Amino acid sequence: MSSFILRRLLAVIPTFFVVSLTVFLLIHLVPGDPIDSLMRAGSSPALREQMAAKYGLDRSLFEQYIIWMGKVLTLDFGTSIIQGRPVAALIAQNLPSSLTLGGTAFLFSSLAGIAAGVLAAKYYGTRIDSSITSGILLGSTIPSFWLALLLILVFAVWLGWVPVSGARGWSSLVLPVIATGLGGVALVARVTKVSMIEIGRQDFVTLLRAKGVSESRIRLQHILRHALVPVISILGLRIGWILGGAITVEVVFARPGLGSLLIRALNQRDYPLVQGCLLMLSMAVILGTIIGDIAQAAMDPRQREASK
Amino acid sequence: MNRRELLISSSILAIASTSLFSNVAIAAASPSEATIVLSSDENGAPHLDPIRATLLSVTAGLIYDRLIAMSNDHTFHPHLAESWDESEDGLNWTFVLKKNVRFHDGELFNADTVVWWISKFEGSANQHVSSAIDRVVVVDEHNVRFEMKRPDPNLLYNLASYFMGIPSPKAYEAAAGNFGVIEAVGTGPYKLESFAVGQETVLVANEEYAWGSELSENKGVPEIKRLVLREIQDSSATFLEMDTGGADILMGVPTEFVPRLALNADVELRNMPATGVSYLQFNTSSAPFSDRLVRQAIAHAVDQEPILKAVFSGSGATAHQFLVSSLEESKVQPEFLIRKDTEKAKQLLDQAGWLLGSDGIRTKNGQPLKVRLWSASETAYKRMAEIVQAQLKPVGVIAEVALFDSASLRDALRKGDHQLVISHYDWDNADILDWCFSAKNIPHPNSSRWDNPRSEKLREDAMSGARNWRERVAKYKEYHENLLENFVFVPLHEFEKTVAVNRSRLAIPERIRETTVGSATLLDTRWQ
Repeated sequence: MSSFILRRLLAVIPTFFVVSLTVFLLIHLVPGDPIDSLMRAGSSPALREQMAAKYGLDRSLFEQYIIWMGKVLTLDFGTSIIQGRPVAALIAQNLPSSLTLGGTAFLFSSLAGIAAGVLAAKYYGTRIDSSITSGILLGSTIPSFWLALLLILVFAVWLGWVPVSGARGWSSLVLPVIATGLGGVALVARVTKVSMIEIGRQDFVTLLRAKGVSESRIRLQHILRHALVPVISILGLRIGWILGGAITVEVVFARPGLGSLLIRALNQRDYPLVQGCLLMLSMAVILGTIIGDIAQAAMDPRQREASK
Repeated sequence: MNRRELLISSSILAIASTSLFSNVAIAAASPSEATIVLSSDENGAPHLDPIRATLLSVTAGLIYDRLIAMSNDHTFHPHLAESWDESEDGLNWTFVLKKNVRFHDGELFNADTVVWWISKFEGSANQHVSSAIDRVVVVDEHNVRFEMKRPDPNLLYNLASYFMGIPSPKAYEAAAGNFGVIEAVGTGPYKLESFAVGQETVLVANEEYAWGSELSENKGVPEIKRLVLREIQDSSATFLEMDTGGADILMGVPTEFVPRLALNADVELRNMPATGVSYLQFNTSSAPFSDRLVRQAIAHAVDQEPILKAVFSGSGATAHQFLVSSLEESKVQPEFLIRKDTEKAKQLLDQAGWLLGSDGIRTKNGQPLKVRLWSASETAYKRMAEIVQAQLKPVGVIAEVALFDSASLRDALRKGDHQLVISHYDWDNADILDWCFSAKNIPHPNSSRWDNPRSEKLREDAMSGARNWRERVAKYKEYHENLLENFVFVPLHEFEKTVAVNRSRLAIPERIRETTVGSATLLDTRWQ
């Protein structure tokens, strides 16, 4: 098992460098300049050059990358050009909000998805099944920022149940969680449903019925337990998206978090901050996926063997 | 079976709905707290240190007082300076400071504070505000004299800007470069409670306050004890917060939502004096707009009226010169004003050699008059571009519209491939002319690339040749007229910020004397 984990972690290193290079080039090749956001009427052109030199923007792209990478390896993500504060501090400040939203959305997609899947499997082929399936599918294909606006319109404007935006109290978390988590609900529900139906056809289920075990007990204690194995591996893959899945939703709901931080930094072309955020988000996806892999391997020895 | 399934699915619903209803009461603001949503152009201020800042919001105006207050007719009034005196040659300014003014940390404000504060601008991003000051001399505890290197008629304007809010020296030095991040100490009517960049700032009333400026009736403690200043990036969410009562004041209603908010009986809309102008920018360094005749033709082909009506629903005013109309420098001779005259536009294009073809497009030496018209992708700019495009067609000019995000647009302007650009500035001082059209600012912010010896001479004279305010006004007016007669730009619209107030909760004063809703207005604001 430990060699499996080690192999997985070692594979991260080349991925990290490819990701860092992509992130770096991506933001530097997009037109725009962070210094423009710092200038206001009256500032002199000399100040501009002075600023560019201060942040090393007058050097070649290659040099800038080497300097940045050298610092990142010592866990120094640089200083935000616009905000003038260490990037690591800004990320740390915004991380808890993103984790709360992402974590709750993850929990929501797991619970609601499994519940919807179980229901759809039970009423397989009936109207209940097709309405659950098509309802969730519709919800998950709508882009989350637009879904967010629709949810605001219905639940905050027409019904007035929750605040429109912000991050004050649990009520302001409801709509963002739904907007972020609905895609996951659809995925989990589909996998649960298919897996429930498949397991339901196996011989041991017939045996249980013959023994006179109650139908609800068979479904929830026996079928669901087995059906959850593929569901958990799907959820494992989604752990990585806890941070990255809510970027646009955070902006629409004016919530603090890595998404809001990233979008603002992108608009201002704040290179160090964009690089720090994107690197952080992509590493979260990579590490989250590995955690999912490891969890699955721990449950299922065949996985460990197969990867040898 | 049914019971179990019901349990699972309904438990999720139950958890969601209990948190829903139990929190509605908490979400509603308590009566002592007012929620203000900042204008989008003030979003993202990284810290509240006025000396280092390049972007500050109204928040800074509430925490820090300034020596001088500027009213919306551009006259200057006493604030922390009780009175002032300017020598004939403009080389000496004496300020008499208010007594018994204390910072939020209990420190006394006096002449020594001013000496320390002015010295702090050296080497900062705002160095230019104090660059003309040679030294500050303490006359006595409440009297200071600025000895100038050269006359600076703009000194009072600078002293009244947010960037010259005065921080507490003790707190500033103690924070060592981190001032304004977690701590911001001034003498203003509100004290900082918390600050989260890009999210919200919470301020509480300064219970010691007794030195309001001349612009407010109430010179003492504000009635609104707690202010939550929120920043919302998405304009639809901003509008919905105001429309549903989630916000008490919206500092800048997004243009497209003004008509919608006007329908809400609880919302009072107030137009602030104009602080900016939208204009059509030429690239004067390349054909066809290096030709003055072509620029003039375009200027006469454009009609400002439909822009005012269709894009801004009548809010603001049509612009026929470059500056906001409350500035004296905007009162140029009438013959310089740029107005629609389609016949003249056609005539000028003929004169410039661009002749109308059978397909309705003008050509010269076989080249059709097709130009690139660029704009930022925000709704208002995009629609202005479309209107200008439609207005140029009848005179035989084909404009191809392309949209950019604002950072990409700036970058593209630097490269110089542009021809016509819908631009906008927000600034209420005539020195915006220097910023936008000074040859030393090519390629940015002078992306018109205007470089003309006569204009440069007039500009330099306006910038540094004036000894006092009156001379400065006269010189800037002359420079302004020179730019107008060269048709370096086509003014389109004078932009007025619309402020929305929830009138069922707040009463703001009938007459607002500031350029925007700021500390003086909020001092006079009452609960309903």
